[in-house]
Amino acid sequence: MDTLPALASLLLPGLGQFLSGRRGRGLSVFGVLALMLALVWWATAPAAGFAETTIAFKGDPNLWWWLIAPALVWAWNVWDAARPGGAPGWLPLLVAGGMFAIFGWQTAEISPSTLLQNGDRVMLIIRPMLQPDFLQVRAEEREGWVELLVPCPAEAPAAPSNTSDGIALELSAGCAAVGQELTVTGAGLRPDTAAEFIWQSPIGDFFPLRDPADPQQFRLVQPEADGSLQAAFSVPNAIPPGIDPNLPQEQRLYVRQSRPLGGWELSTNGRFVLQGIYETLSVALMSTALGTLLAIPISFLAARNLMGANPVTLAIYVAMRTLLNIVRSIESLIIAIIFVVIVGLGPFAGMLAVTVHTVAALAKLFSELIEGIDPGPIEAMRAVGGDWLQIIRYGVVPQIVPPFTAFTIYRLEINVRASTIVGLVGGGGIGFFLIQWINLSDFRAVSASFIAILVIVIFMDQFSAQIRKRLQ
Amino acid sequence: MLEVRNLHKVYPNGTVALTDVSFRVDDGEFLVVIGLSGSGKSTLLRCLNRLIEPSQGQILWDGVDVTAASGAELRRIRRHIGMVFQQFNLVKRSSVLTNVLAGRLGFANPWLSLLGVWPPSDRAMALRALERVGIRDKAEARADALSGGQQQRVGIARALMQEPKLILADEPVASLDPVLSHSILQYLEQLNKEEKITVICSLHFLDLVHRYATRVIALKDGKVVFTGLPQEIDKARFKAIYGEDAVEVRAGMTA
Ligand SMILES: Nc1ncnc2c1ncn2[C@@H]1O[C@H](COP(=O)(O)OP(=O)(O)OP(=O)(O)O)[C@@H](O)[C@H]1O
Ligand SMILES: [Mg+2]
Repeated sequence: MDTLPALASLLLPGLGQFLSGRRGRGLSVFGVLALMLALVWWATAPAAGFAETTIAFKGDPNLWWWLIAPALVWAWNVWDAARPGGAPGWLPLLVAGGMFAIFGWQTAEISPSTLLQNGDRVMLIIRPMLQPDFLQVRAEEREGWVELLVPCPAEAPAAPSNTSDGIALELSAGCAAVGQELTVTGAGLRPDTAAEFIWQSPIGDFFPLRDPADPQQFRLVQPEADGSLQAAFSVPNAIPPGIDPNLPQEQRLYVRQSRPLGGWELSTNGRFVLQGIYETLSVALMSTALGTLLAIPISFLAARNLMGANPVTLAIYVAMRTLLNIVRSIESLIIAIIFVVIVGLGPFAGMLAVTVHTVAALAKLFSELIEGIDPGPIEAMRAVGGDWLQIIRYGVVPQIVPPFTAFTIYRLEINVRASTIVGLVGGGGIGFFLIQWINLSDFRAVSASFIAILVIVIFMDQFSAQIRKRLQ
Repeated sequence: MLEVRNLHKVYPNGTVALTDVSFRVDDGEFLVVIGLSGSGKSTLLRCLNRLIEPSQGQILWDGVDVTAASGAELRRIRRHIGMVFQQFNLVKRSSVLTNVLAGRLGFANPWLSLLGVWPPSDRAMALRALERVGIRDKAEARADALSGGQQQRVGIARALMQEPKLILADEPVASLDPVLSHSILQYLEQLNKEEKITVICSLHFLDLVHRYATRVIALKDGKVVFTGLPQEIDKARFKAIYGEDAVEVRAGMTA
């Protein structure tokens, strides 16, 4: 029983342990207790500074009983200081760990029920994803439209008519309120194909009208044998949120006929997917090429065996290594955001970001290869009377070129993935399309881009593995 | 004839590796350098073709002052001096043929050699050199696919490409087992006898020294402590060279 350390620890947790030579233990006891008390204070203090946090028991002053946990640890700490061999360490770890776990659970808003209750949302995503929007049945499209004002202005315009693509359309009124029934009359349609009704909102969004009999289905109207058509529909609510609903705005009804021609073609989104993949691959290729070119000279500056000889070069070496380590530790996503700010949205920003990361990663790998180079062949080339260039060509190049190439190919593989990711923050390529489709909830296009990304990643994987095997 | 006069070597870190080393090697000799590990054998051999820069002293080779040569002249001297290394010093990833051809660098057209283009005459010569050391069939193999003994033969073939008048061999068999040691040393002996190539070779095992050396020079702590015929190394001299506690070990398998 050591009274003095026990007293010291009673006053200041960990002090007794610290003074009796168990410094590490003293410091950790103090640290853990300080953290526990800070957490309790944070949880029970008035919500003022932390208004935004979502922790469930935040700001409840009645939660003083949380102090039981630190009190237990405090008591244990006195016991630990008093006992010559120390008290069992797992006791406070259990108490503190339990408390941290509960706080962590609350702060991370962990809620398994949310996950389970919203299972139906999964289907909303999965179903469209099973039909990737890449190819579509080849079809001949014709489309006519007519424009009206919603809602009606003080002075109602005349009933409008319009002919485009050979389809003449006429509305029963030039304006209408939302939900009001109108009649459209058309002529010049192909009699053999049903026509779709598509609405264009004031801001240019398109959405198909639904069948009033079965809202699950789109509205389809079969034209007469003479190519004429007459149908009633109710004006949909297409006014976007944030726009004054009483302000009359131009909206359009499109009547579209699409006749299958047989065979398949790329859909519009499919074309975007291809364009995105092409862009992403270009970004990956260019950043790998540029990154490698820059990494080679830098790697020489970051190789200890070349730079260690005198203090000046050694300082350059240390600076280079530090810089490379820092840059490498920054996600290329973050670098991309910075470049998007500097050069604007698009593949150039993505390429710059991936290049920076490539330089840092490759320069480090290259410099390690240079450090591991066998001096023997260099000595041999000097001994046979080779000049400087010949020594490099026959003593150094054969040692470093195959592994340099292998790393570069491997990097290309990584960069294909990185270029996809930087697209998400505006760095161009398929990632850029992908994030927009996610925001638009166009999961068919999302699925098509997933598949395309998967295909090129698998392809690059195989390709790089094959090449690296040969370079071994 | 090679003449070494008052050679000194002090490494930048202050290690004194050679002190006042002087000796002469006549053409056609098979001179073996012996001495404990750290006695300065490698340093001495590398000073001879100035892979290591001597601190002081003079090296005269057929009247040419090697120590005074610089740049292109030094390279011209080096290209006539073959060198064989303990660790073979081959480019492991390159083919045997490429390794051997590299021995010709000092004579090759600099630009073509940088492109890796070799005249057919050099290729034929390389194949002959490989033939001579008995591994012609390995010409296309990668150097690291060969056994240690075969790699050292590639090393010798590379030196042969220089059509050398002098071969420096720094413990050429220290990484090999006794059987292979003999086969390698026999190649050197053959070159020495048939082509009259002077050989300066450092060795560890005394039985090998007795078998191959025409003359021996012993180093201790960077100083020459013995020069003479191999059979002159008796018990007393052995102890003088290797220290009181040394026991002679043999490579074995006298060929
Ligand atoms: N680059 C160097 N820098 C500093 N000291 C060196 C260097 N190379 C060799 N030495 C020292 O010089 C001395 C002679 O070394 P050297 O390699 O010539 O001996 P050696 O007789 O060849 O030994 P071994 O039989 O082990 O190969 C040793 O003390 C060694 O530590
Ligand atoms: Mg040595």
